[in-house]
Amino acid sequence: MKAKHTKYLPLLPVSCAYFILFLIGKNVAGMWQLMAMLAFYCALGQAFNIFIGMTGYVDFGYVAFLGVGTYGMALSVSRLAGFPNLGLGVVVIGLILSFVMAGALSVAVGAVALRLRGAYFAIATVGVNEGFRYLIEGARIWGGAEGIIFSGQLTETLGRDTASSLSTFWADVMVMIVAVIAAVITVGYMRGRVGYALTALREDEDAAKVMGINVTKYKIIAFITSASLAGLLGACAWALKVMYVFPPEAFQIQYTIEAIIIVVLGGAGTLLGPVVGGLIYGLSKYWLAVVMPGFQLLIFAPIVIFIVVAFPEGVVGWVKRRAKGTAIQSYLL
Amino acid sequence: MIGQQLAGNLVNGFVLGGVYGMATMGLSLIFGVLKIVNVGHGAFIMVGAFITLWMFSSLGMSPVFALPVALITGMALGFLIFSTVLRRLIKAPELASLLATFAIGMLLEEIAKNLFGTEFRGYNWETGKLVLPMTVLPMSKIYAFAGSVAITVLMYFWFKKTRAGTAVRSVVEDSDGAQVCGVNVSWVYALSFAIGIGLTVLSGVLLTMFIPVGINPYMGGSYTLKAFVVAVLGGLASPYGAFFAGLAFGLIENGSYTVFAALPGVEPFALTRFISFVMLLVILLIKPTGLLGAK
Repeated sequence: MKAKHTKYLPLLPVSCAYFILFLIGKNVAGMWQLMAMLAFYCALGQAFNIFIGMTGYVDFGYVAFLGVGTYGMALSVSRLAGFPNLGLGVVVIGLILSFVMAGALSVAVGAVALRLRGAYFAIATVGVNEGFRYLIEGARIWGGAEGIIFSGQLTETLGRDTASSLSTFWADVMVMIVAVIAAVITVGYMRGRVGYALTALREDEDAAKVMGINVTKYKIIAFITSASLAGLLGACAWALKVMYVFPPEAFQIQYTIEAIIIVVLGGAGTLLGPVVGGLIYGLSKYWLAVVMPGFQLLIFAPIVIFIVVAFPEGVVGWVKRRAKGTAIQSYLL
Repeated sequence: MIGQQLAGNLVNGFVLGGVYGMATMGLSLIFGVLKIVNVGHGAFIMVGAFITLWMFSSLGMSPVFALPVALITGMALGFLIFSTVLRRLIKAPELASLLATFAIGMLLEEIAKNLFGTEFRGYNWETGKLVLPMTVLPMSKIYAFAGSVAITVLMYFWFKKTRAGTAVRSVVEDSDGAQVCGVNVSWVYALSFAIGIGLTVLSGVLLTMFIPVGINPYMGGSYTLKAFVVAVLGGLASPYGAFFAGLAFGLIENGSYTVFAALPGVEPFALTRFISFVMLLVILLIKPTGLLGAK
């Protein structure tokens, strides 16, 4: 058993990475947008990894939780606009609402889907995203297919300057904070009861069950955590930045794809993996968008296939294996 | 009035459902034999649709000729994918095969996007019409339905009566046992995957009869979801269970559309798609082994 104080040591490189992104963005002119995008990809991977990396289950409907989080913020800002003296309170309520709504959806989905094993689980989640989007459009909930535009209400409630600094600066800072929270939770889980239970589950679900581990409980814990963080990301990175929400955009399967690429690239189930994966993916996407726009996925699809076949542990998993027994080991998880 | 509409939509749903069923057989066959869920299923349907479109508009050939081309292309594609990627993933954790098939689907879509662009296309195959009391059906849809039935029947006999089919069934039952009895299991894996992909690409040809202007690199996504519903309904590992499940799904889909269209304040098209997702969850919850034909 490791000593208590070394438990959180692996958080050091992760937090440093986000802090460096923040510093570069803040101090180098014109870099904020790029750094914010990188931070978003790292955060997306970090949140997704809590479920996919620790359980080995693939959730193809992950973006639905970001979408629902976006709606949480949009609803709070647009419906509470009339109340006086709320000010930044609408944003705080929006964050809480996003967190709770994404969590609630994950409880509903998880209650059904997490009873199922591996492949059946993946099949069940393929529809979550589409299903939820078409429920909103079909039953005309929350503005239906027209979505919610709330830039007017946000400016009205907060004033023009606060609203604009919120959307161009603080929203991105909050993304970084969510990423760090996700990393802390990851360490807490991995080094605690949840992590041990899920490792047992990933190795052999039946054996874990026979040993008296309530596998469904731990799967649900990881699922809800991962989904609620996604809700926060949706609220910060999407709702506050663009100030509208629109079903086809909020539920774009693209983001599930990106989250999968990031986690697999960096190393599923490692703490630093999503940061490495997010940086590699974000930077190469940015670069490819300049050199050959429209070809990003064409290039990333074979890379994912290659990694899955030849290199299933990802970049960090590989480094971790090489670093065994060296001083770096205690900083990697 | 609504009665006639419902009857008309149900006839359409039945005809389309047969093709849905055929479009799912490949998915069920691959899952039954290899225990791999092909998450990129819809992309292979898209390949079939583009083959048909290309042969029709560039070479002026009727979709009938697209059938053998699609089957052969699909089987070749299946062999290629199996020998380069999936062969190495049969014993790997599910995560690996799910991500790999997903990425393969994505690769096919991106290749199609770069070859053909993202606009919706279609073609017009004049075949005359069949006038029924409740609806009018283009003959092309009838041909597609007949084709689906014929392919399903052929598959049934191939399974039950031929040596290769028996070998495949033995691997579905127990792959270790089959190996011990002298069945070349890795050959059965390769063959089943190739036939599964071949059938899926083939079904793409038949599906184009139902989507006059719906051919697009990303058209497969909604068929992946529908195929999952149908496959689960028919008992995931049962190819001809899938056919009957397809008929049932087509009826439910078009029937519920008529009902939603009669309700005020809702979007019937979007809600129908929501219903297929709910069906998927409900079936998985009550009876993951499938409602039709499974023990």
